[in-house]
Amino acid sequence: MEHSIPSNLTYLVFLAPAVAGLLAWLSGRVRRAFAEVFAVLGASAAFAASLAIVGQALQGRVLTGWGLELRVDSLSALMVLLISGVGLPATLFAIRYLRHRRLYDSQGRDITDARLPSFYGLFLLFLATMLWGCVTNNIIMLYVSVEATTIASGLLVAFYWDRRALEAAYKYLMLLTVGITFALFAAVLLYASATPYLPGVSALLISELRGVAGLIPRSVALFVIAFFIVGFGTKAGIAPFHPWLPDAHAEAPSPVSALLSGVMIKMAAYALARTITMFFPVYAPLTTFIVIVGGFTMLLGGVMSLAQDDLKRLLAYSSVSQMGYVIMGLGFGTYLGIYGGLFHLLTHALAKALLFLSVGAVIYATSGRAMSQLGGLGKQMPITAACFFVGAFSISGLPPFAGFMSKLTIVLAGADAGMWGAVGVAIFSSLLTLVVVVRAGQAVFWGMPKFGVVAAQSPREVPASLWVPMAALALLSVLLGVYPQLAYPLLNQAAANIAGFISH
Amino acid sequence: MPYNERLIETLSMVMIITSIAAVESQDLRRAAVAYCLQALLICGLILAFAVGNPALYLWAAVALTTKAVLTPWFLLRCIAKTGAREVQAILGFGPSVVIASVLLFSFYRLTHTYVHALAPTPGAVAGVFRTNLAVALTVFVLGLYAILSRRDAIKTVIGLCLLENAVHLSLVSLAPGLKETALIGIATEVVVTVYLLLYIIAGIREKLGTTDTFALSELHW
Repeated sequence: MEHSIPSNLTYLVFLAPAVAGLLAWLSGRVRRAFAEVFAVLGASAAFAASLAIVGQALQGRVLTGWGLELRVDSLSALMVLLISGVGLPATLFAIRYLRHRRLYDSQGRDITDARLPSFYGLFLLFLATMLWGCVTNNIIMLYVSVEATTIASGLLVAFYWDRRALEAAYKYLMLLTVGITFALFAAVLLYASATPYLPGVSALLISELRGVAGLIPRSVALFVIAFFIVGFGTKAGIAPFHPWLPDAHAEAPSPVSALLSGVMIKMAAYALARTITMFFPVYAPLTTFIVIVGGFTMLLGGVMSLAQDDLKRLLAYSSVSQMGYVIMGLGFGTYLGIYGGLFHLLTHALAKALLFLSVGAVIYATSGRAMSQLGGLGKQMPITAACFFVGAFSISGLPPFAGFMSKLTIVLAGADAGMWGAVGVAIFSSLLTLVVVVRAGQAVFWGMPKFGVVAAQSPREVPASLWVPMAALALLSVLLGVYPQLAYPLLNQAAANIAGFISH
Repeated sequence: MPYNERLIETLSMVMIITSIAAVESQDLRRAAVAYCLQALLICGLILAFAVGNPALYLWAAVALTTKAVLTPWFLLRCIAKTGAREVQAILGFGPSVVIASVLLFSFYRLTHTYVHALAPTPGAVAGVFRTNLAVALTVFVLGLYAILSRRDAIKTVIGLCLLENAVHLSLVSLAPGLKETALIGIATEVVVTVYLLLYIIAGIREKLGTTDTFALSELHW
């Protein structure tokens, strides 16, 4: 039996980066270096707090804050560790990356310099809102935090302020806001229909709602489920609500893409897991539906990524595809399925953040990101190439990388549940991913250099301040593949938390 | 029943008309004014409901600041920069009015009849609350229609505002006991989102010379 204790960590984990973001924004106007220092401090503080939280969660403790308003169980602990764990390397990468002159030749150095403090301010705020969403126990605040991540990242997507970035930002804000409004409706309906069973404000608390979700009227429950799937599903990049994703993830600066694709969509999947699984015990066919949605998403994302020439768009579509695995795993509704879904959430976050940072390094060195214009970079940029291939092999599920373990778990869970169609789709999509990323890696790193319109000077390996964050993520992707037991204690608790409730 | 039913029904009907005006007016400035009028009517409606639930006075105040003052101000400021003439919609004025009206009447009938399927508690669909919920859902659908059928980016933002107004109004029926912090959180986010969208749209206008969403065609597939 888990026991809950009040803890300051629950709010420190997201207030620290939020305050650091504010300080970065204010002090950065005086000197840019101040903004960078506060950004690193904020991201490190969040990471440190997450480690402390995970330490507590592993001892079976549930942390609470502000009454029961904030609640961190093992699932939340996994999420905060993941978000801050990807957030820190992304922040470190951003510092050198954004100092690079060639990236913003189109708009002049002064303009971009003036915008950098806002960049770091929003970047940390973005991190903070994601962390907040994973620790809040209030169903309305879950909606508010998910929408807050959109608001915080909207201007980050538009950062380069050119035609493409503005278009992406417009679609991003518009589609996600409309989509998430459905989640608000669902949250309100769920809260209102639980009020007869729960006294006072406790009808807002997710931990309490779980117990009464089966009691609410059937017709209302179906609306709640559908609206949550549309709302959080849009944010999670589930097909057919994904069209904003490739635009935003491709046009944002690479460190932002790493956060968007690496963790933001995972946070939406977390919101979905928190809410939808409440209904699994009563509405059994729902699990099959979720599996089908997951399968459709992974196929569509896979096929679309096959057609891309732009490296970042290719990676973005592949994120859609990989989210399908997470959703499918959750949809199986069994311990093994949920374990696999959460494990893939973790391994994909690491690998996709790594891939976006690697492509960022390629852009840093060459200013190009179209596969048709790149080639032969493997010789000049061996570290970047190695990092890219680690990430690529991990998301396509090749042993001994982490993605292999998580995909294997999902496939086993599918076989265990007797859903052979889903197993087939998952294996086929995995092969598709392998084709896509190996083709991309081959085009960029092997063969002859073909720098058509790309910068004329010979590209060199990126500086250590860029490749060290990449190498850290790559190391984790290998480590979790060779020694998957490392993640077991936390994943086991998180999966048992959901699965135990479903089978109860 | 302490509620003034006739007042609530009249305000609701006028509010629906303002939605049509906001969607169909081809002068963006007028559309923004129609939107502002709608926000004021929503404040009136919430006040009419506040007779039975004093907590709603605060809701009306929140709606007044965010929806009737800040949002129209942002809209008009942006329109002053980009010009008041709306980019021609996909449909002509005539067909669009017809579609919007048909949508309005049929959806209102539909929701008013079947809204109990959505009712979390029996109280949410009793008497005036039923009308209110049906009106809110109708405005929601009109907002969606505006977003889907208009080419002008600013018009789509007005559609989004209608959508959010509808949500705010529906809360009166669905969750009258909602905590203030949650309500303020929801209302604030909407205003910030609208502000950001208009900021981006001003940038689009600066780079592309138009607010036509069809011109946003760099990214596809």
